[in-house]
Amino acid sequence: MAFSRRSLLAGAAGLGALAAGGLSACGSRTSISSDPNELVIWYWDRSIDPALLSIAAKQIPGTRRHLRADIIGGSFDTKLRTSLAGNAYIPDLTNINSNVSLYFPNEDMFLDLDELGAQNYKHLYFDWKWELGVTPTNHFRFFPLDTGPTGFYYRQDVFDKAKIPSDPESVGAAMKTWDEFIELGQKLKRNVGSFMDITAGQLFGQYINASPQRYFDKAGKPLYMNETSTIRDAWNMAVKAIKAGITGNQQVSTDQNAAWESGKTAGHIEAVWWAQILGDTAPDTKGKWRLAKQPVRAGNSGGSFICIPHTCKDPEAAFKFITWLNNPQNQAQAFNNIQLFPSAEDSFTLGTMKSNTGFFGDQDPLTFFLEAAKEVPTSFISTYEAQAAFFGTEITNVEAAGKNPDRAWDDAVAQTNKILRKRGVHV
Amino acid sequence: MTVTNPAIGSARAAEEPSTTERRSRNPFKRFWPQYVAVAPFYILFLVFGMFPLIFSIWLSFNDWDGMGQMKFVGLAQYRFLITDSRFWLAVGNTFLIWIMSTIPMLFLALVIAFLLHTNIRAKGFYRVAFFIPNVTSAVAMAIVFGSIFSNSFGIINSFLNWLHLSQVPWLSNPWGIKVVIAVMVIWRWTGYNSIIYLAGLQAVSTELYEAARVDGANNWHIFSRITIPMLRPVILFTVITSTVGGLSLFTEPQVLFGNTSNIGGPADGGLTIVLYQYYQAFNQFDFGYGAAIAWALFIIAVVFAIINWRLVSEREVDGQKVFKVSRKQRAAHASAEPTEVAAK
Repeated sequence: MAFSRRSLLAGAAGLGALAAGGLSACGSRTSISSDPNELVIWYWDRSIDPALLSIAAKQIPGTRRHLRADIIGGSFDTKLRTSLAGNAYIPDLTNINSNVSLYFPNEDMFLDLDELGAQNYKHLYFDWKWELGVTPTNHFRFFPLDTGPTGFYYRQDVFDKAKIPSDPESVGAAMKTWDEFIELGQKLKRNVGSFMDITAGQLFGQYINASPQRYFDKAGKPLYMNETSTIRDAWNMAVKAIKAGITGNQQVSTDQNAAWESGKTAGHIEAVWWAQILGDTAPDTKGKWRLAKQPVRAGNSGGSFICIPHTCKDPEAAFKFITWLNNPQNQAQAFNNIQLFPSAEDSFTLGTMKSNTGFFGDQDPLTFFLEAAKEVPTSFISTYEAQAAFFGTEITNVEAAGKNPDRAWDDAVAQTNKILRKRGVHV
Repeated sequence: MTVTNPAIGSARAAEEPSTTERRSRNPFKRFWPQYVAVAPFYILFLVFGMFPLIFSIWLSFNDWDGMGQMKFVGLAQYRFLITDSRFWLAVGNTFLIWIMSTIPMLFLALVIAFLLHTNIRAKGFYRVAFFIPNVTSAVAMAIVFGSIFSNSFGIINSFLNWLHLSQVPWLSNPWGIKVVIAVMVIWRWTGYNSIIYLAGLQAVSTELYEAARVDGANNWHIFSRITIPMLRPVILFTVITSTVGGLSLFTEPQVLFGNTSNIGGPADGGLTIVLYQYYQAFNQFDFGYGAAIAWALFIIAVVFAIINWRLVSEREVDGQKVFKVSRKQRAAHASAEPTEVAAK
């Protein structure tokens, strides 16, 4: 035996003391950093330009503080919510993804940025993006980072083969409405057997993303049961697309990637950031893709925010960091370095942004998405949209399992209302 | 309660009676080294095992989004659970996938173990090969299976095409999804179970086999008349572990459909109980309901444990000859006991 009884006991006692000590140390500190001059930000990979972070790590411009940037891995929301709930180890700044409405019920956990002078910066950013950071009680707490204006990605070579209009201008002109989009899709399907998009659920979602009205109004009242509502219109359009057979019913990513690569699915309505993903998953299709205006108007899909938790040790310095990070020059630089599409319109007029043209032939994606960003309607995303996912689920049931559309709609409404009642919403 | 450890206590007392008098009557003071020795485990267990367990009971009677105020709602979460069709769908899915995976898996494992036990070449190689799926990353595995069963580009559908059979939309049809998940479970756990069976087989006396061979039994006879009856306790063990694993099935459907618009896949075909619990707690941030689902699963598991326990205790009572009779009568569980009495 290498251990004597005494040393084994001493070791065990040490371990026990360590465990007890480590645990009792919890809950003593609200801020994650004890250094009074250090502000800590939580973010995830590729959500802030590392070059800008390394400048702020020395000193946040215009302040005497410096920044420590912690990359938080998976389940970002769970970790952030846990530290806020436990009132311990809270960062001084944090990014939040496009699901920012998740935090609306607990909005007091974050500072009202208007009190720090945010109104002076409002004119720099797209209105619709700014409004997404305003809570139902009209407090501006979530500052714009990047955006995700959408468009119709399509395979020009497949459209050519189908003998339908194939240059961006005429594709956009041929599908000004969703009915025309479906008609064009039928031609594509008839002539070469390709689909306009992977799933009907995708069309359903992007229809809503491009609409001024969504599931709920600011008071939390459901709108989908109204006689005319965006959700009902989007639903009807998606059902029509399923019946016309223009979507591929490709529900999982391996199928989807293979379909875009082979041209079996020759289109996709998605945000600007998808270009990066497409380039990675289907590099061989480089030069074959083009971008056309989607029916009616462009929408927004994704794009994150930055905010200041209520425990921040120096809110003024934190706000200085936010405005510096998101000034038009720095947003342009972040686009060049890690392809975050700016929310500040002036970024585009600086002339410093480098567009990556090759993938879309001679078409410039930057100008395309800038035009799209200008079109995005102002809308309100309610915290209860997370409970309204049944509509997307049910439209998938119609497409994948052949469920009767009327029954699927009724089920979606009934299930959503049931969950909302559980959450105390009066429906 | 002065002597809690009779073996040591009485021996010492006999040797040197005076020490008992010097020792304190407080059991903690007397046995502090032992307490210290087990302390690291118990402190960590109390904090990371016991506390969450107790807290989840409390949680299931509350409404909490993990951040704001907790609101006591009594039995409301459980009342909702009983009427939640999605929960019952998840229960049904879990059992279907469990049946579809466990039965072929245990049978295959038994056959493989039997073959590995015979005198074949490169035995070691096969033993390692069959165990490798069990230590493969489930995430990587799900990606590979997702590709194999891909609706329009997968190798399985290409094969069906080649045979002039109609293709199956494996990953968008609710039954197809269950088959894919069951196949993943089978692939992953067959080798593990066959290694356990192999260990059981090695405990069976070779004399039995030799005697059977002398009597002219073929492989099938040996397998069905000797191997299976002798392995009964081991089989029961694997049934119990597979039940536990099957009831808590999570990784496979989560990796297959976790990043799609619907967590359970198309038509919730791959929604299992634990996946639904995870979804409610960590996607919907309805921790109270998530906890209620967890306790519902606990009750289901208890029911199964009782069934398993009944099977075991029944066996202990029975003699071997009686057992054969009762096995035939197993379907009619209630009538089992009178039959056994009659057989005796």
